[in-house]
Amino acid sequence: MTVEEIRSQFPALAQQVYGKPLVYLDNAATAQRPLAVLEKERTLASTVNANIHRAVHKLAADATEEYERTRELVADFLNAESPKEIVFTSGTTMSINLVASCFGEAFIGEGDEIIVSVAEHHSNIVPWQLLCQRKKAVLKVLEIDEFGGLQVESLQKLISQRTKIIAISHISNVLGLVNPVQEIIRIAHHNDIPVLVDGAQGSIHAKVDVQELDCDFYAFSGHKVYGATGTGVLYGKKKWLEAMPPYMGGGEMIETVRFSGTTYAPVPGKFEAGTQNFNAVPTLQEALRLARQFQEDPEVAQREWAITHYLLETLTTDPRIHLYGVPRGTQVKVPLFSFTVEGAHHEDLALILDKMGIAARSGQMCAEPLMDHFGVTGMLRISFAPYNTMEEAEYFVKSLNKAISMLI
Amino acid sequence: MTLEEKKQAVIEEFSMYDEWLDKYEYLIELGKALEAYPEEKKTEEKLIKGCQSRVWLDYELKDGKLYFRADSDAIITKGIISLLISVYSGRTPAEIAADDFGFIDQIGLKENLSPTRANGLVSMIDTIKWVANDTAAKEQMAGQAGHDDKAVLTAEDVAALQPLYADVILALKQVYDPEIPVNIYDLGLIYELNIDKDRKVSIVMTFTAPNCPMADDVMHEVEDSVKRVPGVTGCSIELTFEPVWDRSMLSEEARVDLGLDYEEDDYGKLS
Repeated sequence: MTVEEIRSQFPALAQQVYGKPLVYLDNAATAQRPLAVLEKERTLASTVNANIHRAVHKLAADATEEYERTRELVADFLNAESPKEIVFTSGTTMSINLVASCFGEAFIGEGDEIIVSVAEHHSNIVPWQLLCQRKKAVLKVLEIDEFGGLQVESLQKLISQRTKIIAISHISNVLGLVNPVQEIIRIAHHNDIPVLVDGAQGSIHAKVDVQELDCDFYAFSGHKVYGATGTGVLYGKKKWLEAMPPYMGGGEMIETVRFSGTTYAPVPGKFEAGTQNFNAVPTLQEALRLARQFQEDPEVAQREWAITHYLLETLTTDPRIHLYGVPRGTQVKVPLFSFTVEGAHHEDLALILDKMGIAARSGQMCAEPLMDHFGVTGMLRISFAPYNTMEEAEYFVKSLNKAISMLI
Repeated sequence: MTLEEKKQAVIEEFSMYDEWLDKYEYLIELGKALEAYPEEKKTEEKLIKGCQSRVWLDYELKDGKLYFRADSDAIITKGIISLLISVYSGRTPAEIAADDFGFIDQIGLKENLSPTRANGLVSMIDTIKWVANDTAAKEQMAGQAGHDDKAVLTAEDVAALQPLYADVILALKQVYDPEIPVNIYDLGLIYELNIDKDRKVSIVMTFTAPNCPMADDVMHEVEDSVKRVPGVTGCSIELTFEPVWDRSMLSEEARVDLGLDYEEDDYGKLS
């Protein structure tokens, strides 16, 4: 697909801000949505709008069919063994909280240990901290090197008899480096420890095969892969999901309810209490279809590589700029760049760029421990999607230079 | 220049720039030109809460006028605070306290900042207002106390302290119990409240349960909230569990809030 063909599917990209064409470079926070997704949500809301799994009438049956077909497509997208291993959530945050809460309830006790990395999003730190407080467990931290690479070689030393789970991001939302999760999972499994992979960024750019990875849990958000907001996925191996207690109690997560005791629905229903987001979840059908198309399109890959290469070159050769997350060896970097500029505050830069039409992110990026690790109060981040062009990348560099010259 | 004239001058200056980038450029110039702020004053205490970038504000009262000094690690923010200082520094506390800060809206600054930075601007304005109110209240107190610095509490002192009790109670009502959605005052956690002649506040308070894990946090919050009342010079808190708190100590407002039955005769403890 040409970039023009792609852009024509995303109506939000055609707008102007402050009289300038919008250059949307905050895709790691949320992606824009294509017409197919917007249309799907509208169609569902205006036709098959009925609560799922409950009634026998035609609308309810059609709505349930849409919802459950999405589960099959998500299972296919992740190459899960069965759709039963797919739980719908409100996003990555809820997916991880669900595991921390339910896996924690079943398998973690006083003195047990959980390992996360220093480069995690708050969503993959705080749920575990809460669990540790509740269970008097201990959170251990895997460090990174000066370039942002995980120190996988020190993982074995961090693991003990008490380590019960490792939670690690596939791609850090700050560094943009593809983490060696396969290696981590191999080491963890060698020690009989399950692994949760935070795929909020990892599900976007390249194909994810949970069977090949052999991860125990994989979490991602619908809105970052062009789907509706408020949709999310938790993949969990069936043996874990079955061994975990429910997350929330409510309608449709039960088998029988008696005051003498309630039995729960089989997975994944056990984890989907109450009315589900049935108008939004089926947008994942269109969203993931497109995401897969992007992942398999050599033209998209070529453009993405060119943009990544250009920005890596530009941002690492400018002495005023410090880029965090520099790939080494065969390490892959996605088009996501976080950096600081000597003498210019990240917020000032973002504010000026905004007035030039560029949507960039500034601040701590929900990763305060990582900011502390690098000794900065925040960074500026730009993140690209397949609808971004090389011209936009060049315009960004030009605008950044102008912003810096205004500030210094 | 009077305050009004100065504000008018700023509005005119801003109206010269059509493009927001030019306005930013102007703010950046102001930020760069701001008088250096002493490193040793970059303390937690001087930090303005609610800004995403860090902003420190210090002030002194000289010949009845307030003089501000400030710094920020972000230059546009520094420009904004520099603008505020150029307008308000060297004015009397009463003059600043009476101002509505409406000129900020007139130059379109607030709506053109990102929401996080707009919040920061509001925090800066609130801090300047607070300093002015606090200083004005203390001046008033000094005026009323006259030159008599003995500890004797005169009838005039009592009258002057009256309104301060109401303000302190209002401040106490801003602090909520972490578990029950009622403020600590209406919960009946405050057993004693005294304000002495120097406007130091002493409080005797309790908690609903002796092992409340949030006790320290709540006490800090009480202290902070009371200290921020204009005119208050200090706050000390004593914790007691004698008598033990029970439901009968709830105010009527709290009973309504919690939907408790008036006729209820079982004054058991809330867990």
